[in-house]
Amino acid sequence: MIQLRLRSECDRSLSPFVVRISNGARQCRDDATLIFEKLGVLNYRAEHTEFCIRDVAPKDIAGDVLLIDPRRQIAHRLIRARSRHNTFLITEQCDQRCLMCSQPPKEHHQDMFEHFLSAARLAPLGAQIGLSGGEPLLHKQALFNFIDAAWTTRDDLSFHILTNGQHFDEGDLPWLRSHRAQLLWGVPIYSADAAIHDEIVGKPGAFAQLSGNFSLLGLAGAALELRTVVMKQNVSGLPDLADFITRYLPFAATWAIMQMERIGYGRMNWSHCFFDSSKEFTDLGAAIDLMSARRQSVVLYNFPLCTIPPVFRNLAAQSISDWKQKYLPECESCSTRIRCAGFFEWYREEDGFMGIHPQ
Amino acid sequence: MQVWPLRFRELTDHRMIIADDSGNYFLADGNFVDRYARDELNQSDVDFLSARGHTFQEASELAHTAFLTRWAKRQYISDGSAYVILIPTLRCDLKCSYCQVSRAPVAAKGFDWDEQILDRVLAFFDNLPVNEIQIEFQGGEPFLRLDHLKAIADFARRRFQQARFVVCTNLQTLNADILEFLASEDVLISTSLDGPHQIHTQNRTRSAYLTQEFHQNLVRVLDLIGPERVSALPTIDMKHPPQPEELISAYEQFGFTSLYLRPVNYQGFARKSHPSARTSETWTSYYQEFIYSLIARNSRTGRVMEEFYLAHCLRRILAPGADSHTDLRNPNIPTGANAVIDFDGQIYSSDEARMLARIRQINLSIGSVIDGLDREKLALLAPSHINNFDPDCIHCPYQPFCGTDPIDDMSRNGRIDVPRQESWFCQRHLAVFDLAIELLYSRDPAVEFTLCSWLGLEKLPDALRPIAP
Ligand code: SF4
Ligand code: SF4
Repeated sequence: MIQLRLRSECDRSLSPFVVRISNGARQCRDDATLIFEKLGVLNYRAEHTEFCIRDVAPKDIAGDVLLIDPRRQIAHRLIRARSRHNTFLITEQCDQRCLMCSQPPKEHHQDMFEHFLSAARLAPLGAQIGLSGGEPLLHKQALFNFIDAAWTTRDDLSFHILTNGQHFDEGDLPWLRSHRAQLLWGVPIYSADAAIHDEIVGKPGAFAQLSGNFSLLGLAGAALELRTVVMKQNVSGLPDLADFITRYLPFAATWAIMQMERIGYGRMNWSHCFFDSSKEFTDLGAAIDLMSARRQSVVLYNFPLCTIPPVFRNLAAQSISDWKQKYLPECESCSTRIRCAGFFEWYREEDGFMGIHPQ
Repeated sequence: MQVWPLRFRELTDHRMIIADDSGNYFLADGNFVDRYARDELNQSDVDFLSARGHTFQEASELAHTAFLTRWAKRQYISDGSAYVILIPTLRCDLKCSYCQVSRAPVAAKGFDWDEQILDRVLAFFDNLPVNEIQIEFQGGEPFLRLDHLKAIADFARRRFQQARFVVCTNLQTLNADILEFLASEDVLISTSLDGPHQIHTQNRTRSAYLTQEFHQNLVRVLDLIGPERVSALPTIDMKHPPQPEELISAYEQFGFTSLYLRPVNYQGFARKSHPSARTSETWTSYYQEFIYSLIARNSRTGRVMEEFYLAHCLRRILAPGADSHTDLRNPNIPTGANAVIDFDGQIYSSDEARMLARIRQINLSIGSVIDGLDREKLALLAPSHINNFDPDCIHCPYQPFCGTDPIDDMSRNGRIDVPRQESWFCQRHLAVFDLAIELLYSRDPAVEFTLCSWLGLEKLPDALRPIAP
């Protein structure tokens, strides 16, 4: 597992600050250069101070953007230069309580937009940055301001925003329209049946609210990625959901059907929710067939390749972020491993997929 | 609550095919239509309609936005690529009985592009506002002017980000230079294969020896560049149509998995010698018989042959965006990016328009490479290339899937305002769409097997064949 937090040492009296580890020559004020390396400790010089980073090789963090927290002596790797999976956690607050949530909500919100803005400005050219939570749109105005501010100097950046879709209103239309080219909205929908959806997200009325907001996103011409975690609770409704999507959400750019992540509530509710798609793919197959007959795109996230019937394998994406991805011992001998999504770091074999077969 | 307007058509088994302007369709019986017409829909009707996006409460709610989107997706908008047909020569070394254009004998003079026209064609390409192009070489026999083909290909490869070339050839002659031209990955071959040896000979070569030569060349080309880059089309002469089984075997024998059944085109010079092409009933019943034989054969052999046009129409029914075939799009407004350039440099909106000009029925040229595009004429032609407002099409459930062919109407009827149902284009498409719906709703496993393979599905989802309560 790749560490997203590194042990760091620096002057404890300083306020948190953002730096980029320079990759070769220093390019701007916020670049920190390596002074020397001793016994696995990397010593860097930034504009106003010096700091150390432990437990990592210089080449692995070259180009990374770090948030140094002097009080806790930690460096957060906000942007890893060589990864496609960079996400800013906007907040840990949320108004839904999804059964399988991998990042359970917390009461307290810590505003980090200032640091995110500094980091975004130092991101590699053309980077796509994930914005997630919690529910990022609980701080909608600050979020929109952050995106606008980032784009004043870095209009090459794009953002992939994961939101529960509960917090748009008509007043957002002009903003959504004018920003549509560089924003991708990832929005979950669990069922075409409002009662089942509401039950899964733990919020009465959520589906009705979501419908209206989908309409806004459609009218704005926003790029929309629908996301559905498959579970015991909704798997039999997938063909109906596919029908609903093609009829009611024809403007969605893609539909991601996802396997569960065994962490957070997902871990707590695993046995209650996990659906072993390696044993039974009928409803998933029917949903996929309907989508392809209606020419709307569908992808499979977090499905190990061998758990998918061969005809549908081309839809599988290597969706698990590099820092939390792993393979099993039996994957060692597998010939399709390089194309396989693999497993979340916290996956357990004993209550996971029963049909793992190296290819 | 409001129901988006519905259109009906009675099928042969008296059920009704019903669809809205966005192309959402379902089957119902006559009673449903009565209730709808009298505004007496019951609760289960309404539930059925709402679940399938046929109703809405107010503007800006999801049902409304979704309908607008589905409707918009049904309209064809150019994707910024061009599709241009070139006729570098009218000369040909065959004399097919149904030849659509006034071909010229191999030795004739004055039926080829000269250097000036070639230069102007290149300049025309240079000015096209696109980055992608497909260029189709027709004739005559285009390989008689391999020099022009090479000049065009060299230029297009430099000028466009993506260029593809299709040579429509009779494959009677192959030489080292032609084979070298074919070796490039961006060159495709389209040829005519009218069926078994004797029918092909009768229609096209009039000589068993020439037919044999063609067969050998076809095999050679297939070996050289592979079946992905070679396609073949049969032209069906309704005076002596081939047995479906024979025709399919002839295609299978060369490894083809798709064929596109076309009747002799009732236009140009073909119509003089083929009076049988006038009646569409004979074609429709042949076509149906062919499709059912094909389906039975597919299920018997487990190998799958596709009839391109039916499969294409089926894809158009099921979803928006199946716009790859230039002849069936709506709107299909003529522009310079979709044009035919004749041997004399005249530009036409379609091959049919070119033929009409050849037989001097009416000059539908939209300009020439010398004088440029005639914007006035383009503007004049535009409105007839959209079916959304046609007084007949607006009542037809197939309108979102269908297209227009005013040039064909002009050719057959001398005018473009005949009632749709009297036009060959409409009769042919009603028959194809009726057949597609009949197959889609069929529960025959043989039919489902063929449809699934054509559509690339594991199982045919029931949601694709809704039936009102
Ligand atoms: S054996 Fe492992 S690597 Fe191979 S497909 Fe299955 S999960 Fe993926
Ligand atoms: S041409 Fe005929 S089949 Fe096509 S939409 Fe018009 S009426 Fe219907």
